[in-house]
Amino acid sequence: MTRRISKYKRFMMMNPIVQFFKFIYLSIKVLLVVAGGHGGTRSA
Amino acid sequence: MAKIVVLGAGIAGHVAASHLRRKLNKEHEVVVVSPNSNYQWIPSNIWVGIGRMKPQDILFPLAPLYAKKHIDYKQAKAVSFHPEGDQDQNRPYVMVEYVSEGNKGNKEKVTYDYLINATGPKLNFEATEGLSPGKNKAHSVCTYTHAQEAWNALEGLIEQMKQGKKIKILIGTGHAKSTCQGAAFEYILNVEQELRRHNVRDKAEITWISNEFNLGDFGMDGMLMSYGSNIMKSSEMVGMVFEDRNISWILGAGVNKVEDGVAHYENLDGEQKQESYDFAMLIPSFSGHGFKAYDRTGMDITDKLFRGFMIVDADYTPKPYEEWSVQDWPETYQNPSYPNIFAPGIAFAPPHSISKPRKSKNGTDITPAPPRTGMPSGITAKLVADNIIEMIKQSNKELHHKGSMGNMGAACIASAGFGMTTGSGISITTYPIVPDYQKYPDTHGRKLGKTFGSIGLAGHWLKLALHYAFIYKAKMKPFWWLIPE
Ligand SMILES: Cc1cc2nc3c(=O)[nH]c(=O)nc-3n(C[C@H](O)[C@H](O)[C@H](O)COP(=O)(O)OP(=O)(O)OC[C@H]3O[C@@H](n4cnc5c(N)ncnc54)[C@H](O)[C@@H]3O)c2cc1C
Repeated sequence: MTRRISKYKRFMMMNPIVQFFKFIYLSIKVLLVVAGGHGGTRSA
Repeated sequence: MAKIVVLGAGIAGHVAASHLRRKLNKEHEVVVVSPNSNYQWIPSNIWVGIGRMKPQDILFPLAPLYAKKHIDYKQAKAVSFHPEGDQDQNRPYVMVEYVSEGNKGNKEKVTYDYLINATGPKLNFEATEGLSPGKNKAHSVCTYTHAQEAWNALEGLIEQMKQGKKIKILIGTGHAKSTCQGAAFEYILNVEQELRRHNVRDKAEITWISNEFNLGDFGMDGMLMSYGSNIMKSSEMVGMVFEDRNISWILGAGVNKVEDGVAHYENLDGEQKQESYDFAMLIPSFSGHGFKAYDRTGMDITDKLFRGFMIVDADYTPKPYEEWSVQDWPETYQNPSYPNIFAPGIAFAPPHSISKPRKSKNGTDITPAPPRTGMPSGITAKLVADNIIEMIKQSNKELHHKGSMGNMGAACIASAGFGMTTGSGISITTYPIVPDYQKYPDTHGRKLGKTFGSIGLAGHWLKLALHYAFIYKAKMKPFWWLIPE
C-alpha cells in the first residue's frame, strides 16, 4: 500500500462537521451543473 | 387525441412516461410496455452487491403506480417494429409479447401515434465466452438480481477469509468494448471498504481490469478537472485512490474468455494473457436488443431504424478521431426516417465512441463504448417528451427542445464506500459530457469549474440523498417534478 492521501487530508475528508459544509457546497455545485441547462450544438 | 407508446420503464422510459402524463390531459393515452414488473434504481445496485441494501430498497412495482396515474401498463417486451403498419393495420405499431403469468407468450399489435424507444441496452454477456452472471465465479451488478447473487458469493468468501483463506478479486470490464466503467469503479471501492469493515482486507488481493487506456477514462476520454485548488487529470485522481486503497490495475485489456476463476484477455500489445481470481465482477458489453423492423408490405427495413441501437439525428459518417466533433452527437433523438419515433437514454445509437479508439497489435478494437449515465438518460427522455407534447399541442414539425451530450453536463457521484460516518464518495461533474475540443482546447475539451472532482464522506451522503430523492421522484410523489433529472 502506498499512502497517497495525507493524514490531514484524510481527516478533512472524513470529518463530519467539515463534510457537512462540503455536502451543502457539493449539492449546490451539482445543482448548478444540472440547472446549467443543455441545448443543441449545431445551430450557429 | 394522441397515443404515445413508451417502450421500457428504466430511467429514460419512466421519466418520459411520467412527464407525458403530467403535462398531457387524459384524452391522450400514455402506454408503457416493459417486461420487468418493477422499477429499479440501478445506481444503488452497487450497495446491493455489498449487502448494504436489499433489492426491495431499490425497487418498487410499476403496475399500481401506473394504474393510479392513468398510465396504461403492459408487462411485455417489444419484439418488432412496424412504423407503417401492415396490410391489416393502417396505423404504425409495435409487436409486443407478454411476459406476465396468465398471458405469457401472447402477442399484441400496440398501435401508436408517437413511439419512444427507451429499451436501454441488452446486457450482452454472450459476447464474452464463459461470461454469465454467477457462472465461473464471475458476477455482475447490472441488475438487482445479479447484484444480490454477487453479494451472496462475496459474503461466502468473506467468511472463508475470516478463517484465514487468501483470495484474489478481479473487478472491471468483461469485454474489449464494454462501457459503464464508473459502475465497476464504484463496486471495486465498495468491496475494498467492506473487506476492511470485516477486518479481512489483508487477506485479499484486489485488481482492476479495464479496457480503458488510462485510469479514469470512464469511456469519456478522461477528464481534466478542478480538484480543490489544483487542476488534476482523472487518471491521477483514480491512480491516487487506487494506490491509497492498495488496488492494482491492468489497463487496455479486452477480456475475451472467462473460465472457472480465470479471465483471459488481450492487451494493446497484442499479447494474450490471463488473470486468476476467486471472485470477479465484470461488466459485459452492451448491445442493442436485435429488434427487427418491417414496412407496410412486410419488407425488412431494420437498417432504417437500427444500427445495433436505434438510429437518431446523429452524424454517423465514419471519420477519424481527429475529425470527431460535438456536432456528431444527436440533439433531439428523433429517427430521421420516421419522425414520430424517438430513442432517449441508452437506446440511441451513438455516432462513435467518446474515448480515442485503440486497436491491439492484432487489430482487436479495445475501446470503451460511450457511457450514457442516468442524468443524460433522464434529460434526453424529458426533452423527447416535451417535443412530443409540442407536436401534439401545436402540430409542430420543428423540434424546439434540444440536448446534445456535447452541450450537457453530468454529475456522477461514485460511491467509494458505504456508512454514515465511514462512507466515502467521489463526486465528479463534467461539462460537457462529450468533450468539445474546439470550445475548450486548453482544458481537454471541458469547462473547468463545471468539471470538478471531490472525495470524502459528503460524497456518500450525497449519493444516499440522491438514492432517496430519485426513488421519491420515480414514485411520482407530491411535487416530484421539482427534482431535476
Ligand atoms: C451497476 C450500475 C450502476 C450505475 N450507476 C450509475 C450512477 O451512479 N449514476 C448514473 O448516472 N448512472 C449510473 N448507471 C447508469 C444508469 O443506470 C443508466 O444510464 C440508465 O439506467 C440508462 O437508462 P435507460 O432507461 O436508457 O436504460 P435502462 O435503465 O436499462 O432501462 C431499459 C428499460 O427497457 C426495458 N426493456 C428491455 N428490453 C425491452 C423490450 N424488448 N421491450 C420493452 N422494454 C424493454 C427494461 O426492462 C428497462 O425497463 C449505472 C449503471 C449500472 C449498471
